[in-house]
Amino acid sequence: MIEVSGLTKQYGSRTVVDDVSFVLEPGTVTGFLGPNGAGKSTTMRMMTGLVPATSGTALVDGRPYAELPNPGAVVGTLLDASAVHPGRTGRVHLQLLAAAIGVPGARVDEVLETVGLSGAARRRIGGYSLGMRQRLGIAGALLADPPVLVFDEPANGLDPEGIRWMRDLLRGHAARGGTVLLSSHLLGEVEHTVDRLLVIGAGRIVADGPVAELLGDEGTAVRAADPAALTRALEAAGFSVQHGPDGRLTVPGAEPGAVGAVAAAAGLALTDLRPVSRGIEDVFFQLTAAS
Amino acid sequence: MSTTLTPSAAASAASSAVRPAARERGASAATLVALEIRKSLSTRSGKTLALASALLAPGITAVMAATSDDELGSAAGPIGALGLVTVLVLLAVGVLSTAGEWTHRTVQTTFLVVPQRGRVLAAKAVAVALLGAVLAAVAASATAGVLAVAPVGDLSWDGVPQALGVVVAAGAAFAVIGAGVGAAVANSPAALTGLYLTVLGVMPVLRLAQPGIAEKLDPADAVLGLAAGHGGTTQVLVLTGWVVVSLVAGAVVTSRRAVA
Repeated sequence: MIEVSGLTKQYGSRTVVDDVSFVLEPGTVTGFLGPNGAGKSTTMRMMTGLVPATSGTALVDGRPYAELPNPGAVVGTLLDASAVHPGRTGRVHLQLLAAAIGVPGARVDEVLETVGLSGAARRRIGGYSLGMRQRLGIAGALLADPPVLVFDEPANGLDPEGIRWMRDLLRGHAARGGTVLLSSHLLGEVEHTVDRLLVIGAGRIVADGPVAELLGDEGTAVRAADPAALTRALEAAGFSVQHGPDGRLTVPGAEPGAVGAVAAAAGLALTDLRPVSRGIEDVFFQLTAAS
Repeated sequence: MSTTLTPSAAASAASSAVRPAARERGASAATLVALEIRKSLSTRSGKTLALASALLAPGITAVMAATSDDELGSAAGPIGALGLVTVLVLLAVGVLSTAGEWTHRTVQTTFLVVPQRGRVLAAKAVAVALLGAVLAAVAASATAGVLAVAPVGDLSWDGVPQALGVVVAAGAAFAVIGAGVGAAVANSPAALTGLYLTVLGVMPVLRLAQPGIAEKLDPADAVLGLAAGHGGTTQVLVLTGWVVVSLVAGAVVTSRRAVA
């Protein structure tokens, strides 16, 4: 489990990451979403000890990353796919990494196979495309098959097929009980991969919750003469109710007909009833622009 | 095709619950040193420099022996002088082992796997010291070998063991100085330019203008003096000072610098 608490980074008077807290649970894929420059990478670098935090803590299994006995075997990290020596071959790069983590050399060929780079393994990385470097970075992160994966913008440079492959990989990892943190500035890239979204804007967490809840992509907006009574009736019927401005209630995942039926059964008068589907991009802009 | 993904491989990787046996503990010091040696020799620039450091001195000796009619007199002289060529190349081996990581940003992976930055720098210092000593030994003994078979008249072999020993020690020292300065500057071109300007530009000028001060600062002159057998404590202290100061500067910067 990863616990980030009050993580803050200031460069002079500029606060790049501002009191960021979240918990990553095993078995989940968490999307870390925000526009470029929102503080995603800095947060991930503080979590892995590469950038010292101004304040706050980030714990992996109860201790700071740098105090893990062999961190490479616990957290598989891909932060910057271009941070590789162009003069080494992909295979040598992974062999050096395997030796550092203490993973058998045979594992190198396995992960090369997994990411589809076997054919390019003996070529110098200088000749790799960005997508190939991403795959090499993912291969490096998978070497020890660590319980935690932290990927910063891994979809950059991947083609749609590659993105789908990565989704299967990360979903599979979570299904085996792994913990995944995946950052992106494009909601569409991670929308179908993640269980939960952590939205960051201007250094602050502006939203944190299950994808469906944040997006509220299917649901019903309803107004009633007596909102409190309707809320009770809807909750008694098993719906969750969100309170909006002016007494508007939003019922995620409910058809207007179902909401109307609950109101009718309870003898409540409705003043407005309509389906809502918030566009995911709208939600994203709304959340990150407000910060 | 090289970039074709293999869904079956991805699926099997995702479904297998068996994790490869990774070490529980961090890498041992010996493992880290061996790893750093491999890293230094795994790039084209590293291989080229290692080869150059081993072959340049005997190569120049062979060319000189074949083209010059001058009597050399003593073998220790050319072994020391050409040893300086060797150790100046080894300076670059040291720089690339540390500054090269920042320049190529591979330092990110290095510190992700071994977050104890002091351990990493120590391993690099030991690794380049070993590399430097071995390559200098190869170069100096090859130089001696060329002198032994070359038609250069009667050579005196007095002082050759000391010259060889000095070149080997200087190889280790210069490689470590390079690693320290490289870690302090964290940029290969800047570290290389600064070091070579200092050693080959500033120091010779200083030697002309202020010989007394130069004697206490110039690492190249210290190597030449020691190899020729007329150096002493001052020269040893000069080299030691360079090693210590560069390593301390490198350690301070390495421990504080954010990996962006």
